[in-house]
Amino acid sequence: MRGRRWLSHDTTGEFELDLAPLLAVMVKLVPVLLVSSAFVQLMVVETELPQVVKEAVQQNNDPKNDIAKIRLVVDGKNGMKVVIAHQGKEQETDIPLKDGAFDFQGLHEKLVAIKQANPAVFKIDLMPGAGVEYGDLIKVMDEARRSRDNRITFPVFDAQKNAETQTPFMFPEVVFANSLETGA
Amino acid sequence: MSRRKRPHFGVSRKSTFALNITSLTDMFTIMLVFLLQTFATSDVQLEPAQGIRLPTSTSNLNPIEGVRLIVTKDQLLIGEQKIADLKDKKFDAHDIDGADANFLPLLFNELDKLAKNSTDEHIKEGRILLQADASLPYDTLRKVLYTASMAGFPQLKMVAMLGN
Repeated sequence: MRGRRWLSHDTTGEFELDLAPLLAVMVKLVPVLLVSSAFVQLMVVETELPQVVKEAVQQNNDPKNDIAKIRLVVDGKNGMKVVIAHQGKEQETDIPLKDGAFDFQGLHEKLVAIKQANPAVFKIDLMPGAGVEYGDLIKVMDEARRSRDNRITFPVFDAQKNAETQTPFMFPEVVFANSLETGA
Repeated sequence: MSRRKRPHFGVSRKSTFALNITSLTDMFTIMLVFLLQTFATSDVQLEPAQGIRLPTSTSNLNPIEGVRLIVTKDQLLIGEQKIADLKDKKFDAHDIDGADANFLPLLFNELDKLAKNSTDEHIKEGRILLQADASLPYDTLRKVLYTASMAGFPQLKMVAMLGN
């Protein structure tokens, strides 16, 4: 019987991994990704909502429904004011300026409380003053759109399931109520 | 004249050497991960206009196509076409209609032309992508919104940078 042939394998020695093909792939990928990358991510502010909330917003727009109307007046000098109008009565809540700037945290807390008291309302009329900056208006809309705290949700009726469900959305439909006022 | 003999450092010219590309591969791997994270997945490629500081928003909706209205501190543009100038973040009096202080006739004419001549779906639906400087007062923007609504563009999408 012939003895086993020993090949000259060095089992203890190191070997070098050939990284050249990997590098070649990366060299091609990196310029492609560099060209198509968005280093500044731009988003749009609008109301793209779950179906249940969309239906609730549509119900809000139906004049037959007797629900409260919420108006948010933003004024650079006095701060913000939330006016809730329901059945001929108006209730005002002031959110004064804090250190000379808008108190967005205070606004959010007030809006959460208002939403908890009026869960059927999804629309808010925004009435900014002439001097209010556009950046501040976007922040106001952010504060009104949904609850910052994921644990805070609001009931909404799902007509398809015929049951109540929860949503983090507060006032996703923000309308510039005074934008079509003529300035004659 | 005697020729100086070059010093010989004992480097063999025939020898080959292996380039160590491990660190280069490391660098490319990090770059690749970073670029994959920032890879644009939106249908619409939108670049911020020059000289504009967009507001930040927590909204996470990708932009959709619309007529691109840009309001910087100095100009009002549709795409790259200048419509009117702004002075101290306000429109010049000669760009505003005499009978209606919120109406911008030049903007109306251009949008009206677009609405009549274009067959694009977003124009027919009256969709506007508004890029406006965060420091502009509402009074200036109201004129743009009002005129756009009059021209048949009521759907406003406000472009903002992702952030808190």
